[in-house]
Amino acid sequence: MQFGTETRVEPAPALAIESLTYAYPDTGAPALRDVSLELATGELVLLAGRSACGKSTLLRAACGLVPHFHGGEIDGHVEVAGIDALASGPSELAAAVGYVAQDPETQVVSTTVAAEIELPLEMRGDPPDARALAVEEVALALAIPHLLGRAVDTLSGGELQRVALAAALVTRPKLVLLDEPTSQLDPVAGDELIWLLRRLNEEWGVTILLAEHRLERCLAAADRVVALDAGGVGFDGPPREFLNWAQERDAALETPAARLFSLAGIEPLPVGVRDARQTLRGLGVDRPPHPASRRVIDSHPTEPALTTKALWVELDAGEGPRDVLRGVDLEIRRGEQVALMGRNGAGKSTLLKTAAGLIEPVRGKVEVSAGIALLTQNPSDYLVRERVGDELLGEAGMAALHIVGLENAVDADPRDLSGGERQRLALAIALAGRIDGDQLPGLVALDEPTRGMDRARKDELAELIEGLGSRGAGVLVATHDVEFAAAFAERVVLLGEGVVIADGPAAEILSGGWYFATEVARVLDLPGVVTPEQGAAVLREGGR
Amino acid sequence: MRSPFAYTPKFGPLQSASPAAAVAYLGSLTVVAFLYSNPVVLLATGAALVLAGRLAGAWRAVRAALWMGLTLALLIVAVNALVVDRGETVLVRIGHLPLLSDVITAEALAAGAVIGLRAAVVMLAFAVYSACVDPDRVLRALRPLARRSALTATLVSRLVPVAAADAARLRDAARLRGPAAAPVGRAPLARRLLAGSLDRAVDVAATLELRGYSLVPPPPKPRVATHIPRYAWQMRFDRGGNRGRNGVRWRARSRSRYDRRFYAVGAVVMIAAVVGKLAGADAFAEYPAVEVGTGPVTVALSAVLILSGLAPRTPPIRTASNSLPARGGI
Repeated sequence: MQFGTETRVEPAPALAIESLTYAYPDTGAPALRDVSLELATGELVLLAGRSACGKSTLLRAACGLVPHFHGGEIDGHVEVAGIDALASGPSELAAAVGYVAQDPETQVVSTTVAAEIELPLEMRGDPPDARALAVEEVALALAIPHLLGRAVDTLSGGELQRVALAAALVTRPKLVLLDEPTSQLDPVAGDELIWLLRRLNEEWGVTILLAEHRLERCLAAADRVVALDAGGVGFDGPPREFLNWAQERDAALETPAARLFSLAGIEPLPVGVRDARQTLRGLGVDRPPHPASRRVIDSHPTEPALTTKALWVELDAGEGPRDVLRGVDLEIRRGEQVALMGRNGAGKSTLLKTAAGLIEPVRGKVEVSAGIALLTQNPSDYLVRERVGDELLGEAGMAALHIVGLENAVDADPRDLSGGERQRLALAIALAGRIDGDQLPGLVALDEPTRGMDRARKDELAELIEGLGSRGAGVLVATHDVEFAAAFAERVVLLGEGVVIADGPAAEILSGGWYFATEVARVLDLPGVVTPEQGAAVLREGGR
Repeated sequence: MRSPFAYTPKFGPLQSASPAAAVAYLGSLTVVAFLYSNPVVLLATGAALVLAGRLAGAWRAVRAALWMGLTLALLIVAVNALVVDRGETVLVRIGHLPLLSDVITAEALAAGAVIGLRAAVVMLAFAVYSACVDPDRVLRALRPLARRSALTATLVSRLVPVAAADAARLRDAARLRGPAAAPVGRAPLARRLLAGSLDRAVDVAATLELRGYSLVPPPPKPRVATHIPRYAWQMRFDRGGNRGRNGVRWRARSRSRYDRRFYAVGAVVMIAAVVGKLAGADAFAEYPAVEVGTGPVTVALSAVLILSGLAPRTPPIRTASNSLPARGGI
């Protein structure tokens, strides 16, 4: 008997896209242009690119929503595990592909977690016994068996994300598509999710296509990177080569560690923290010298914009009242730029809403001395008219538009503005009438403003925040994004379970731990060094 | 904040019971509310539902339903008193006004109170049902009978709390607008909420597509017994499961050990209500003068009804420490 003489039948690729061009209905420019791509079974592929470059559209095409659900004009060929995705609809593809949208809340249709996970199997006609087994298996794989009996509307963002992932995985699809799954998660939950995906990819052999903006979080876990550029494939290759491509073609896609090496003139560019440390060790830079000068908080001898004293806030999310803020003492001064950080459910949004008067504290004091403008997590909630000029009245309204740099968009429809412009318009609406000459309200607060933003847009937002601070407003930004916090904040307040657990200079807080630390801080492990520029200066000083 | 009427998964008997058993139990009390006008019986039915809700851990829903039901009851009393001029006991003469009665009588007030009480009892029953019966299980039970209607119900049951949350967010954003921003009236807010709800509906529809909802379900597959390892997850199915060939254990159908209790209590309530009705337990007359029957049959029926409220009571847990004699030690 001879082995190995039989002809091996190569399995169909998990995803094969050929010359795909697609335009949404009533739009001129195509969202995808001549995209060709093939994902082998068992690959974990990172889909990178700037905002609105076509990442989400590509994922929707791979699961059949484009064109079957969204309509539009399409040309080319898409095949998922051997099934023609353009001829079959999303339901026919359901057994082969799982899809997790950016906002998992839009993806739950059942009342309880167990029913939500079981639904795809029920639709497929699986018997109850098989359904029970599959639900239990996927719950164990994602470490959520304790959630099975919970109502979906009582889950945190991270828990909901895992439930949506479980519902996508329960049919054992060959391909799983995830659209920015970490955008609403704190750094801890985000890291956990990425490594959970890697584990599923290795153990279950499932192919994963993951669209993300925070590349530093997932590059090390990826086998391959596909970068989209204006609807076309700009790059397709291994992570390290991607970094070289990004360095030359689009610096906004560089990771902080790659930027650190690039500024310090070190090669090769690292795909993650471990890789960066190994390279530095190889170069004899095991422990770079401690920087002589460290970034410190500018003193702000100004009046307080927000003062809370022994602030207690209680909320009831349906499972009985719970203390969300527990004796918070805090002072933010005018001109200060402060990042408010902490895990999902730590009380960040509650603190901002209490400061804005939307929630009454049960005990303690909250004082806002010179007014507050709060921009909540969803800027679209502020936009209710069909013309920018109709949202804002008179000279005071125009002054607010001027502050955010939208004075030339008076006649535009808010729906036609980009995501960043919509956010600035919402901020203008919150500021309107609270500006006295050049004087802004005492406090401008923003709640998770960087969701779904690429680095270029985050840089624009950081500039806007700096502008607000220089005009005398205290700026308090609740964010999960440590890299963004390092870019704009001079002070970080860290909340944990409703209590202030750390309050100090951003450079110290963001370099003093692991989860709430920037990638550069994790690479260099030097107190006070958090940005690529600071890190590169230290490496250059040390002469490598 | 969650609605007090939203279903909250718990391990209580009422939550564990099959939807049919829960409906049989709560439905029997609702039928009594419609069948009887005697306020003593209605109050007993209300007390049974309050007790049931309390024991089932749905106290928030009960409180909210009591608040809403009693407000509605007061409104009904006021309207009935103002529009009905029957009754012998005149309390106030208000003169001639179009569409309104000339007098307010004690009997009209009592008649309104009975109607209001009935409405409050029915609201209580629905509140306990809403907070304790898993809508997913109800929809699953309905799906084979009416697939499209079940889809509509799925969408509605999901979109109602989501729309409520959206409305709360939009109201917050409206309050946060600066003084020089255009004021947001009810109409733009409603329009925005409607547009948002349509977007949400599209999202839910897309999700259902991705879950394979539009597929025609295949005929049920025959059970194929295979050797599968016994994991911890199986243990919980073992007690209620049945043993197949080759030692493979199959999960029992979604039946609870409390089902029989709720069916039995529902049956007892229905039998007692019918017998009581025939025996004159519903003796009540509003006009021309209020007469409330409080005979032994009415009292006995009321007692049965109140006792039926104990059905969702969780039995005490028997542990080794309280079932075995102590073996010394400290």
